[in-house]
Formats: sequence, C-alpha cells, structure tokens
Amino acid sequence: MDFSIIFGNAARAAFGPEAVILALAAIGLNVHFGYTGLLNIGQVGFLLLGAYGTSVSVATFGWSLWAGVVVGLLLSVAFAVALGIPTLRLNTVMFAMVTIAAAEIIRILIGSTDAIGLTGGPLSVSFDAGAFYDLNPYPDGPHDRYGIGTFEFTGQQLWVITVGWLLVALVTAGVVMLVRSPWGRVLKSIREDQDAARSLGKNVFSYKMQALVIGGAIGGMGGVIDAIKTSGADPNGFRPQVTFFAYTALLLGGSATYLGPVLGAVLFWFLREWIESFLRQIVEEAWLPDVVAEFFDGAEGVISVAMVGVALILLMLLRPQGIVGNRTEMQLDAR
Amino acid sequence: MPDELTPQADSEQREAALPPADGGVPAIEPAPADGGVPAIEPILTVPHEPGAPKPDPILEVDGLSRSFGGLLAVDVDHLEVQRGATTALIGPNGAGKTTLFNLLSGFERADTGHWSFNGEAVTNPSADGLARKGMIRTFQLTKSLAKLTVIDNVLLGAPRQRGEKLWAAPFPNRWRSQEEANTERAEALLERFNLAHMRDELAGTLSGGQRKLLEVARALMADPVLIMLDEPMAGVNPALAQSLMHHITQLVYEGLSVVFIEHAMDVVTGISDWVVVLAQGQVIAEGPPWKVIHDDQVIDAYLGRRRAGAAR
Ligand SMILES: Nc1ncnc2c1ncn2[C@@H]1O[C@H](COP(=O)(O)OP(=O)(O)OP(=O)(O)O)[C@@H](O)[C@H]1O
Ligand SMILES: [Mg+2]
Repeated sequence: MDFSIIFGNAARAAFGPEAVILALAAIGLNVHFGYTGLLNIGQVGFLLLGAYGTSVSVATFGWSLWAGVVVGLLLSVAFAVALGIPTLRLNTVMFAMVTIAAAEIIRILIGSTDAIGLTGGPLSVSFDAGAFYDLNPYPDGPHDRYGIGTFEFTGQQLWVITVGWLLVALVTAGVVMLVRSPWGRVLKSIREDQDAARSLGKNVFSYKMQALVIGGAIGGMGGVIDAIKTSGADPNGFRPQVTFFAYTALLLGGSATYLGPVLGAVLFWFLREWIESFLRQIVEEAWLPDVVAEFFDGAEGVISVAMVGVALILLMLLRPQGIVGNRTEMQLDAR
Repeated sequence: MPDELTPQADSEQREAALPPADGGVPAIEPAPADGGVPAIEPILTVPHEPGAPKPDPILEVDGLSRSFGGLLAVDVDHLEVQRGATTALIGPNGAGKTTLFNLLSGFERADTGHWSFNGEAVTNPSADGLARKGMIRTFQLTKSLAKLTVIDNVLLGAPRQRGEKLWAAPFPNRWRSQEEANTERAEALLERFNLAHMRDELAGTLSGGQRKLLEVARALMADPVLIMLDEPMAGVNPALAQSLMHHITQLVYEGLSVVFIEHAMDVVTGISDWVVVLAQGQVIAEGPPWKVIHDDQVIDAYLGRRRAGAAR
C-alpha cells in the first residue's frame, strides 16, 4: 500500500478543476441558502445553462468562446429570473420542489433526441476551446508536468485551475463585500423571518430575486469552467446529485460563512478521491476475501461517494456548524 | 446601574423642547391616580360610540371583514383612529384584534372593505409598502431575527438605507456615514430598552420579554408615523413596562400615533387616550378608558356573556 499515491491523488482532486466547479456551485448556494434561506435544490440547472450556453454558442452557432461565456452567464441569469418570478412567493418546500423539477426538465429537454441539432442531445456537444488555451502561459509540451508524485497537472490543466481558483477568489471577495453591508443584513433577516423583514419595509421578493440571480450566476460560472475544461458538455454531467454534492460541500465547510463553501468543496474532493484510491489499492493488493473484493472492484467511485455521505453525517453529529461555522448560531436552531 | 431614571430625565428635556402652541397643547384631563398622561384635546369632543368619527383620523376603516372558514374573525363597520393619540385596542381572546392588525398592515387579505392611512387610500395593500409609508407593526408572537445580533436587529429597522441597495452595498464609503448615524440612534434605543448590555449578542439568546423589547425598539427605529403594537408589554417586567410606556407617550407628544393591543387594564388606563373594544370581530364600544372599562357591554364581552342587546 502506497499512501503517497493515495494522498497525491486526493490532493490532485482537491485542487483540480472539479473542486473549482464544486466550489463555485457551493458559493452560489451559500448566497441562496446560507444567507437568504432559499432552499434551491436545482443549482445544477444553473451550471448546466452556463456549460451549454458556452458550448452551444461555439459549437452550433460558431460564435467566439468569449461570446459563448457571456451567453452561458446570461442564460443562468435568465433562468434565475424565470424561476424566481412564479416561485419566490411560494413557501420553502414548494420553492425547493420547483427548482429541482425545473433543472431536471431542462436537462431532459437538452438531452433529448429532438434537440440533437441544437445541443447534441444525448450525444453531448463538444467545441474548440482553443481561444482559452491560447492564453496559457505555462509551457505545455508532452512531457511538461507540474507537481510532485501523483499530485501533478499538465500545463493546460494548470492553466484551467489557475483561472478557476482566481475566479473562486474573486467571487468569494465579491460575496464578502456584498454580504457585509446593510444589503447583506436584509438577506439574513429574510432567512430568519421574512415577515419581520416585510414589517420593516423591506421588499422581500426583490431581495430574494437579487440573491437568486447572483447565486445562480455564480453557479453558471461553474458551468462555464466545466465546459472549458472538457471542451464540451454532456447532459449526464448535470444530474441532480451535483446539487447535493454542492450542499454537502457547503455544509461540510459551514453555511453562511465566507470560506465555508470553498473549504467544503476542497475537502469533499479530497475525501472522495482519498477513499476511492484507498479502496482501489486494497482491491489491487488482494487483501480482502474474494467476495468482498469483487463487490468493491469497479465500485470504488460509488462507495467513496457513499463514504463522503457518512463523513457528512459524522460531521453533523460532531460539528454541526461545519468546519468554519459558528457553534452558538447553530445551537439557536434548537430553541 | 441600568436606568429607571434616564428615560425620565430625557423625556423632560423632550417636553421642554416642545413648541408651546403647536395647535394641540395637551389638555389636562382629570389625571388617573398613577400619574398617567393627559388625553389629547381633540378627542374629548368625540362621541363615545362605535365607529365615532375623529377630528383628524390617521386611519379610516370601512366595511372591513375577514373570515376563516365559517368564522367571521373581523367584521368592522367603521373605525377611525385619531392622529397623534394613543389608542388601545382591547377585547377578549379570539376577538379578532391580531387579525385586524394583520389586515390593516397588509399581512393578510381582507374579504371586503377598504381603508385609508395618513390621508391616502390603501388600494393595493402590501406589508412592505405600508411599512415604507410609515405604518409599522409588531407581532404578538415575537419575530426576533435569531441569528442576527441585537444591534443588527435594530439597525435593520432604519428606513431608506443607502447600503441596502445592491449597487451601493459593496462600497462602504457610499453608506458608512448613514450607518454610523443609524448605529448611534440604535444604541440610544437599546439603552432606553435596557438592552445595551446585549448589544452584540445574537438575538436568539434573549429572553422572551427581552425579545418583546427588542421588537419595539426595532419598530421605533423605523421612524413610524403610526406604530401598531400587538401586546408589547406581555412578559415585560412591570417597572420596565412603565418606563416604556412613558417613552411611548413622549413620542406621541412629538406626533407619533400609536395603536396597541393590550390585555392588562392598568396599562390601558395608564397610557391610552382612547379605547376601542373588539368582540367577535366587531367594534362594540369606543371611548376614553375611564368610561369604557365600566361599560356593561364590555364587561359582558370579557366574561363571555352575550346579551340580547349586544348581539347586533
Ligand atoms: N390563520 C388563521 N386561520 C384560521 N383561523 C384564524 C387564523 N387567524 C385567526 N384565526 C381565528 O380568528 C379569530 C381571531 O383571532 P385573533 O388572533 O385575531 O384574536 P385576538 O383578538 O388577537 O386574540 P388574543 O387576545 O388571544 O391574541 C380566532 O378565533 C382565531 O382562531
Ligand atoms: Mg392577538
């Protein structure tokens, strides 16, 4: 058993593009759920529109990548508005239902055979993201590698994650600046009791809409990064579990904290990859009785996700406020 | 040493600062024994009957009704609330007092009826819109914002905050001065409401009575024209309640209009200029406190009796 490989893989996942995408999804959810109390369980819909907006603009319409990025972000904003107008006056549970349903409907439509001409349908879509990689400052020969051991990236990968983490930093700073203001105070008051906010003259619908749009656009950025990273988009990449992973990250790190969603996303991918690598090594080294090994073999990915779930349960029991959350705040829920 | 005296001293200053002949210098009524407040002169001319017209109403209600299932919770023919006075709304449990508040403040839809506030017909009642026009209400079941600090709870009440606009929010220089002025006012209110020591605690850690106080402080922070308090003194210790009432009457001298729901009769007689009695959704009596509390019909309503004459 070689733990340096396991840790290398885990670190690679923790800082890789997947973690960037998850972090952006979770930061968006933090604005929705953490600060405003909007139980959006269709966050993946925003990522999907970001990714498909970018991909389809370039692949189908032949526009430039940058135009595609703008289209992707505009689509996620439009989704927020279209979703918000009929649903933001509904109660929490109804709103949650509509968000997940809307995200699934879009995914199914985009992935349907009727949409092949536009989105590639079930065949997925791919495009040339060369405009992005042309800017790559890192030498990217076939033998250029950055990192140590299994914790290593190619030049192109390093460029994606450099841009990705910069974006995460910028977005985090933006959210901090917004939330620290009287505006942020109104969002939190809506989360705590929207009737109280209303009784003090705050237009609750308008603030919820602002939060939904901002958080949705941040999710859309995650989708854009996803599209650039894979030079395309596939409907299967936008199943509801993406939203649940983002919630897991948010709760792991700490809801309504500045760094919680980012730390949570890093930790999520670290744990997930650590467990998966560990299981794979166990299977390879034939430590286990055949029956068990057979069960594990090929299922490492699934099991590792399940184990992250177990980790979340343990965390909720031992540290319900998340890694950087505030314990006193959490205990108020019980009152 | 927490104040019992500070509000007193402060209020004397306010009184002294009042312009002497502002149209309505309070006429001294035969003062209640506990040193209560003189009634407002204009209201003395108002007949003591349900739906009586007031000289200068801030609120005028017509044909307002709301039922839940088969239960007619509110059924108010006509009601006027005098500007610059303290009006108590009393009535037995389930009389429809809270529901009436909910309707007037836009938290619940009326089945029929219309009303005007501050001389303006309320055509499309929205809770936040009415609040921005100066009608601020508090809730019987307190709505403290548990995970906000006490000071943030009060600051939230401040009206017209520049920093609450999305485009100004990220730039503190656009709103800092206003926020500082608001903070000063909020701290003064906390002082007044005996909550200054809790300034930076989360509101969820306050006791029930403290939450009531916090809610009233927050409502006052909103610069109301009319403040509607749903049992503001419930669970508040009597000495502090006394000081609060005093504070509120001072604000009334300065032009605030108050409607409050209250069950404790000593509070009602202590600070109200006028009392409206609600029973089974209807206004069954109106008048100055010393008269209303001796009204047979009111006593019957409180004791759950219904007379033939009362059941209109
Ligand atoms: N949302 C509602 N759904 C059904 N019935 C309601 C609702 N709100 C109020 N009611 C009913 O309307 C009647 C009036 O209630 P309301 O709360 O206005 O009374 P109240 O005068 O404030 O009483 P209390 O002094 O006990 O607070 C009650 O019979 C109550 O059961
Ligand atoms: Mg009530």
